[in-house]
Amino acid sequence: MALLEARGLSVTYGGVRANDAIDLDCEAGTLVGLIGPNGAGKTTFIDAITGFTPASSGTASFDGNDITRAGPSSRARAGLTRTFQSLELFEDLTVRDNLLAAAERLSWYSLFVDAVAPRRRTDRAAERVEQILDMMQLSDTADQMPSELSHGHRRLISVARAFAADPKLVLLDEPAAGLDTDESQALGVLLRRVVDDGMTLLLVDHDMGLVLDVCDQINVLDFGSIIASGKPSDVRRDPAVIEAYLGTSDRRDLT
Amino acid sequence: MTDYLFFLLLGSAAGAIIAAFGLGLLITHQGSGVVNFAFGAMATWAGYVYADLRRGAYPFPIPGLPERYHFGDDVGFWPAILLALATSAVLSLAVHLLVFRPLANAPALANVVASIGLLIVIISLIDQRFTDNAGLRVGPILPREPVTIMSDVTVPRDGLWLVGVVLVIATVVWALFRFSRLGLVIRGAAENQKGAVLLGYSPALLAAGSSVAASVIGAFIVILASPMIQLSSTVFTFGFLIPALGAAMVGRFRSIWPTVITGLAIGMVQSSFTKLQGDLSWFPQYGARAGLPFVVIIVAMVVLGERLPDRSTVSTWKLPAVPPAKVNAFTVASPIVIAVAGLLLLGPLWRGAIMTSAIGIVLALSLVVLTGFGGQTSLAQMAFAGVAAFTLSKLAIEWSIPFPLAPIGASLVAMVFGVLVGLPALRVRGTNLAIITLAGGVAITEFVFKNPKYVGDASTGGAQVPNPQLFGWDVGLILGDHASRPIFGIFVVVVAALLALAVANIRRSSSGRQMLAARSNERAASSAGIDVARVKLQVFAVSSFIAGLGGCLIAYRFGSVSDSSFGTIASLTALAVAYLGGITCVSGAVTAGVLATSGVAFYGLTQATGSVGQWEALIGGVLLIVMAVTNPEGIAGGIRARLAARAISDNAASINAAGGGF
Repeated sequence: MALLEARGLSVTYGGVRANDAIDLDCEAGTLVGLIGPNGAGKTTFIDAITGFTPASSGTASFDGNDITRAGPSSRARAGLTRTFQSLELFEDLTVRDNLLAAAERLSWYSLFVDAVAPRRRTDRAAERVEQILDMMQLSDTADQMPSELSHGHRRLISVARAFAADPKLVLLDEPAAGLDTDESQALGVLLRRVVDDGMTLLLVDHDMGLVLDVCDQINVLDFGSIIASGKPSDVRRDPAVIEAYLGTSDRRDLT
Repeated sequence: MTDYLFFLLLGSAAGAIIAAFGLGLLITHQGSGVVNFAFGAMATWAGYVYADLRRGAYPFPIPGLPERYHFGDDVGFWPAILLALATSAVLSLAVHLLVFRPLANAPALANVVASIGLLIVIISLIDQRFTDNAGLRVGPILPREPVTIMSDVTVPRDGLWLVGVVLVIATVVWALFRFSRLGLVIRGAAENQKGAVLLGYSPALLAAGSSVAASVIGAFIVILASPMIQLSSTVFTFGFLIPALGAAMVGRFRSIWPTVITGLAIGMVQSSFTKLQGDLSWFPQYGARAGLPFVVIIVAMVVLGERLPDRSTVSTWKLPAVPPAKVNAFTVASPIVIAVAGLLLLGPLWRGAIMTSAIGIVLALSLVVLTGFGGQTSLAQMAFAGVAAFTLSKLAIEWSIPFPLAPIGASLVAMVFGVLVGLPALRVRGTNLAIITLAGGVAITEFVFKNPKYVGDASTGGAQVPNPQLFGWDVGLILGDHASRPIFGIFVVVVAALLALAVANIRRSSSGRQMLAARSNERAASSAGIDVARVKLQVFAVSSFIAGLGGCLIAYRFGSVSDSSFGTIASLTALAVAYLGGITCVSGAVTAGVLATSGVAFYGLTQATGSVGQWEALIGGVLLIVMAVTNPEGIAGGIRARLAARAISDNAASINAAGGGF
C-alpha cells in the first residue's frame, strides 16, 4: 500500500471542477512529480491533500489512515507537510525559530511549564533543526529575520520548514520558482538526497528540467484530470502530454 | 400579541438610530477602510451643539477657548440644525485629516487605538461642556401626536417618522452606490485603492468625502432623535454604537439593506425585552438588551466567517514587530528596586500612583500575551478583571476560601469568560474581533456587574474583599490605623514582577514561538502542524487569567468591588495604553503601566504642572491620539526603530570610512 493514496479526489470551486476524480499514489521513499500547465489544478491538489480545501468527493489516505476529513494541522502532525508557492514564512520569527516552531510538538500543558521554566533548546527537535539548517546551508542565516534575506534563501527556508517537522511526505509547491539554473540544480540534488535518506516527496514545478531529472514517477495534470503518469522517460514521449503542453499533436519529445 | 406590537413600535426610534449609525459606519468603512469606534460620540457632539443652539449658545470644543458663544436666544430650527451639521462635517473632516489619514498604512490596531482616544476625548468634552446633562431638554422636531395602528395599539408618531427618514437616506445612499459612477468608484476603491488611482480618482478625496457624509448622516439622525431620547455622553456613544457595529457586521460593512434592517430589528426587539421581562419569569432581568447585539454578531460571524483566511486574502491586520525577550539580572531587578524604593521612601500619594502603575503593568501584560504574542484583540479586558474581582468577593467572604486560592480561583473564572469571548476568534480576525469582544465585554458588564444577585447590594456596602494574608501575615493596604501600608504596594509589585517574568518566559519558549508563528501566518502555522485554534484559545485563557489577577489586585486595593472600575471605557483605555506602551514585549507593558491613568507618569505630571484635574481624561485621550499617530507601533517600538535606524546609519558611516581604503 502506497504512503499516500488519492482515490477519485475531486474539488469544485463554484461550478468549476478544479480537480476531477484524481487517482494518485506516492510510494514511500520515492520522488513523485506532478506537472501540468498553469491552472491545471496542481496547487488545488496539494490544498486538498493537506486539508486546506475540502474535497467534494473521493478519499485520501495517508500511511494507512483515511485523512479526507482531517484538518491541516492534524495532517501535518501525522507526517504530511507542504510548502506554499507564496512561501508564507513566519515573518516575525528568525529563520531558526521558523524551523523550530514547525519541529516542536507541544501538549496542552506545555504553556504552563514554559511560563515557569522556559525550555532550553537541547531536545531532539532542536537537533533536527540544526541538521536541516546545516544540510540546506542556512546555518549562517539562522539568526536573521526572513525579510532580511534574498528570494532564493526564502524559498529554501520554506522547504526547510516543511522538512523540520520530521515528516514522512512533503508536498512541494513550486520550490524552484524564481531560482536560477544553478540554484535549481542544487535544489534537485538536495531533494534527491532527502528522498534517498527515506523521505517521500511530491514535487510540483514548472522547471521541466528539474522535474524530469529528479523524479522517479511523474503525473501529468490537465484541466483537473490526470492525463498521464509513469516514468519520466515514458511521460516525455506521451502524445497527450505533448498536446497539453504545446497545443499540437506533433510527436516531439518534451524537453 | 398586540402588547408586543406596541413595544416593537416603541423601539422604532432606537432601531432607526442604530440603523443610521450602522449605515454611517458602513459608508466610512467603504470610503476609508476605517471602523470608527468614535462614530457615535462624534454624532452625539452634533446633537449637543443643536440642543445648545436652541438655548442660544454655541459650545466650543477646544479647552482654553471661551466655553460658548452666546447668541442670547434660541437661534431657531434651521440655523441650529445647519450649524450643527456643519460642525459635524468640519469635525469629521478634521478627524479624518489629522487622525485616520496619517494612519492609513499603520497597523490596523493603531486605528482602533486612535478612535478609542477620540472617543475618550469627545465623552470628556461633553461631560465638561454639558455638566447639566440631565437638564438638557430638546423641543419636538418631528410630528409626535399619537397614532393608532390597531384598535388598542397607539404609539407616538415621531419614532415611525424617524424610521421613515432613515429609510429615505438609506435609499438615497443605496441608489448612489448602485447607479452612480461615484458609488461604483467608492466601492471599487474599497476593494483596491491602486485601481481607483489608475482610474484617475483620488482615494484620499473619496475617503474624506465619505467620512464627512457618514458623520453628517449620523449627526442628523441624533438631532432628530434628541427630543425622543435624552442626550447623554454614553447612550449614543456606546448604547447605540455597539448594536450599530453588529448591524454593520451583518452587512459585512458592504451591503446597505442587511445593515439597515438588522439595525431596525435590534432596536425594536430590544424594546420588546421590557415586556418579556414582565411576562417570562426566566427572562434575564439584566443584560438582555446589551446581550442581543453580541448574539447577533456571533451568529453573523458563525454564518459569514471563514475558518482560515484563503489564498487570496491579503493580510491587512499587521501588528508591530516582536523583539526577543531580554531577561537578565538588570532588566528584572531595576524596575523592582525602583518601585520598592519609591514605595518605602515616598509619601502616600506617590505610593498610590506606584500601585496604580504596577496594576497597570499586570493589565498590560495580559494584552501583551493576547495581542503581542497571539495577534488577537480584546476590548473586554477590564470586564474579565471585573468578573475575577466580584468572584473573589464571593469566594473570600461567602465561601471563606483563603488568600492564594481565592484570587487564583477567581481568575480561573475570569479565564472561562475570556475563552468564551475568545471563541469567535477561531473564525474572526482583526477589527471584527475587536468589535465582537467590545460587544461581549458590554454584555458581561450589563449581565453580571449590574445584577445585585452577583455583585451584592450597593446600599449594604456592595461586594467586600478581605485583606490578602500570607500565612497569617496581613499584607493589605489598610490595617487598623494605617491607611496606606507600603507592604501592600510591595505585594502588588511582586505579583507584577512574577507575571512579567512568566510572560517573558513564554516569549522565550516553544509556546511563545508557536503563538508568534500562528500570529504571523495562520495558514503556514497549520501546515507546520500547529493547532491554531488551540493556540488562540490558549492566549485568550492566559490573557484573561492575568487580567483576572489584575482585577483581584484592584479589589484588594479598595477593599470592595465596584463596577465603575471595570466599565467599557476602562477596557478600551487598557488596550489603548498597552498598545502605546508597546504591546509586543514586557518592557512595553512596564511602559504602559507607568503611563496608565493616575499612574506614576500622570501623578508626576500633575505634581510638576499643578492640577490638570477635570481635564485629565481629555488630555489622556489627546495624548493617546497624538502618540498613536506619531508612534503607530507603540512607544517601545518607536524607540527600537530609532535605535535600529541609528545602528544602520552608524554602519553606513563606518562602511564609508572604511571605503576610503579601497
